[in-house]
Amino acid sequence: METIGIWIAALLTLGIFSFLYKDNPFYKFCESLFVGISAGYWFVTTFWQVFMPKLADNLIAGRFYYMIGAIFGVLMLLRLFPKIGWLSRWSLALVVGTTAGLYFTRYLVSNGMVQVQNTIIPLYVKGNLSQTIGNLVIVIGTFSGLIYFFFSKEHKGAFGGLAKLGIWFLMLSFGASFGYTVMSRMSLLIGRMDYLLGTWLGLIR
Amino acid sequence: MRRQLPILIVFVSGVFMVIQYFIPHESFEFIYEYAMDWIIIIGIFAMLLGLWSLTRASVSKVQAKAPGWGFSVMTLVGLATMLFLGFYKGNKSIAEGTFFMDLFWYIYTPIQATMFSLLAFYIASAAYRAFRVRTVLATILLVTALIIMLRLIPLGPISGVNQWLASWILTVPNMAAKRAIWIGVGLGATATALKIIFGIERAYMGKD
Amino acid sequence: MKKTKAVLFSILIILFFFNLSFPQENLSPLPPTEVRASDTPNDNGHSITVTWKLSGDDGADKKNVVAYEILRSDSPTGEFIVRGMVPAGNNTYQDRGAKEKEDKNYFHPHKDFYYKVRAKTLNSYSESEVAGPAQAYGEWFHLGKLPVFVGTVTFTIMVLAFISLARKGKEFYVRPLAGIDAVDDAIGRATEMGRPILYILGLGSAADIATIASFTILNRIAKKTAEHKTKIIVPCNDPIVMSVAQETVKAGYLDAGRPDMYKEENIFYLTSMQFAYVAAVNGIMLREQTATNFYLGKFYAESLILAETGSVAGSIQISGTDEIAQIPFFVAATDFTLIGEELYAASAYLGREPLLLGALKAQDLAKAIVMISLALGALAASFHLGFFLKLFTVQM
Repeated sequence: METIGIWIAALLTLGIFSFLYKDNPFYKFCESLFVGISAGYWFVTTFWQVFMPKLADNLIAGRFYYMIGAIFGVLMLLRLFPKIGWLSRWSLALVVGTTAGLYFTRYLVSNGMVQVQNTIIPLYVKGNLSQTIGNLVIVIGTFSGLIYFFFSKEHKGAFGGLAKLGIWFLMLSFGASFGYTVMSRMSLLIGRMDYLLGTWLGLIR
Repeated sequence: MRRQLPILIVFVSGVFMVIQYFIPHESFEFIYEYAMDWIIIIGIFAMLLGLWSLTRASVSKVQAKAPGWGFSVMTLVGLATMLFLGFYKGNKSIAEGTFFMDLFWYIYTPIQATMFSLLAFYIASAAYRAFRVRTVLATILLVTALIIMLRLIPLGPISGVNQWLASWILTVPNMAAKRAIWIGVGLGATATALKIIFGIERAYMGKD
Repeated sequence: MKKTKAVLFSILIILFFFNLSFPQENLSPLPPTEVRASDTPNDNGHSITVTWKLSGDDGADKKNVVAYEILRSDSPTGEFIVRGMVPAGNNTYQDRGAKEKEDKNYFHPHKDFYYKVRAKTLNSYSESEVAGPAQAYGEWFHLGKLPVFVGTVTFTIMVLAFISLARKGKEFYVRPLAGIDAVDDAIGRATEMGRPILYILGLGSAADIATIASFTILNRIAKKTAEHKTKIIVPCNDPIVMSVAQETVKAGYLDAGRPDMYKEENIFYLTSMQFAYVAAVNGIMLREQTATNFYLGKFYAESLILAETGSVAGSIQISGTDEIAQIPFFVAATDFTLIGEELYAASAYLGREPLLLGALKAQDLAKAIVMISLALGALAASFHLGFFLKLFTVQM
């Protein structure tokens, strides 16, 4: 089984790589198989690992408040019947409302309070020039970046200048993320090459 | 009933979730945990909608003999095989060593890893695209990317300077810009959440 | 007399050295003192906090205390059971238990408990006096979250106030946004070329705020495509997202007065697995030859695969995400990118609905408040005024 498996895996790997040249039947084959297999895998694993413990086991244990979730779940399925499909909005409303409330405080704290808290730093650190400069740059960068995100004021004059500085900071940061990611992406490719040349063909060990 | 009740459900559940954040008492904790579980359960039921959509689209392609219908057959075969293998032996169907897991390891995993590794090529072509743009902003992006990328590579006499510069960029201006984005996203997301809770943003509800 | 003194002194000296040379194995350390037990503040009601004053032998050369054990009992004279241990130098312990009655570790609220703290050396120990009774009870407000509460109330009032101003007819100015201005052109281009538009909502669930923002944008774009009679394809990776996207697009077609043109099969589900979804979307881009691709919502590593494929195919691409790690790739590979907050603003921009624009104004006011706070905070920190920082400090 293992040898056949490795051969199949290697051919599928080549099939996906062939997309880099152009779209072709080999890629289409891999793609359509991948969609079917992955959708099936996801359904099966979610059923056994989430549905059974979260719903079935709880109902068997007599925790009937889980029925409420099940009822909303069934309402969701009513979408398949056009006449009563509107009932699925109740389930949708529960999902959206609950998470909107949840995310409200989550974003307020982690994206608001915590960031402000981290940026409250002294602009002058006695006897430490590099930290003084660093702190100044952080405050100026955050400040000008926020100015860039102002929607109700035109980017003109001094305000526009600061907004421009802000976008420079943003681009610098994007470049940093970009450069930071390159290595990890290369290692993914090396991993695949290693599979083809090592595990499959045995050319490298 | 069709429009008002869902808006009411959104409002009540949204306000409850905001309030429960401030209330440590166990009664609120319990309701919070139930609500989170209900959401997961709703998601599981919705999976059937997904499978239905995928199957229907593939079957109708095959029936209509649309271009590439043979590939839709492949999708259906893959799906049906996984569903059959995943259920025919009850909850033992997905144990390690089953045929179900073999398909996962020898078909799913290699394709997924290869798709992911395509990024190595795309990151290079994206960099080239940015290089061709030749604006101030694209140049800032590229030069910074280069400095950060080269920090791990020995560059002789300028290695030390480059490493220092790379770590300064990462911890100072990069941090400043990220904070600005985070704060902006925080305000945008909280405002959107409020608009949802108060029923002002309701395009997602559709219309009759 | 002198001799007696000398003898006594010698004995003392000998005793002293004798004392030094023999380890005091069985001498127990000084016990912890001032033990207090009380309800843990800001919790769900299943925990008691115990504090004590360190043993006099904590940190000493000899009889060195290595740890403290915390013991609990139902009555001052009953059997005490070890509940936990902390290393030397610590003087608090949170005795915490489960809130579910069927849990073995259930912590009974509103019940008297008594505590003792035991100072332990390597081979001996001593116990404090009994403290208590103490009861655990849940609080109805978390005082450590007061700053968040103030923030919540202020921001909610601001948003609602601006929305009500907008409702009364006040008009708000918003500056042009390149990514938004490009939307009309992009749809127009697809119409001219007679090719479809691809709209990707990302990998978020229907509950992600970014996805919901994207639904609103999708609604506006669907309306425009209906007006232009251009096909819009929306492949989804979550069944609920698919359901909502169908409703949203349908509503857009209704708004445009063309419900007859709406085709549900163009908004479909593929798979929930990230890269399988990407593989399929890549195929759609090339086979359907989409003229315009929108990527708006939550994106992860797949962002660049999608954007590069679309770019090679020659599509006009407009992207936007609040996922900070993916913005750089969208910036590099797509024509226009809505960065972070701009994604949330886009729905208001596209619809030009006064109510949504009002909320945008509230966001700007909040930003101004944040910036003033940053400036004041930096000044306060420069002069070593710590109180300002406390205004933003949240206890979890």
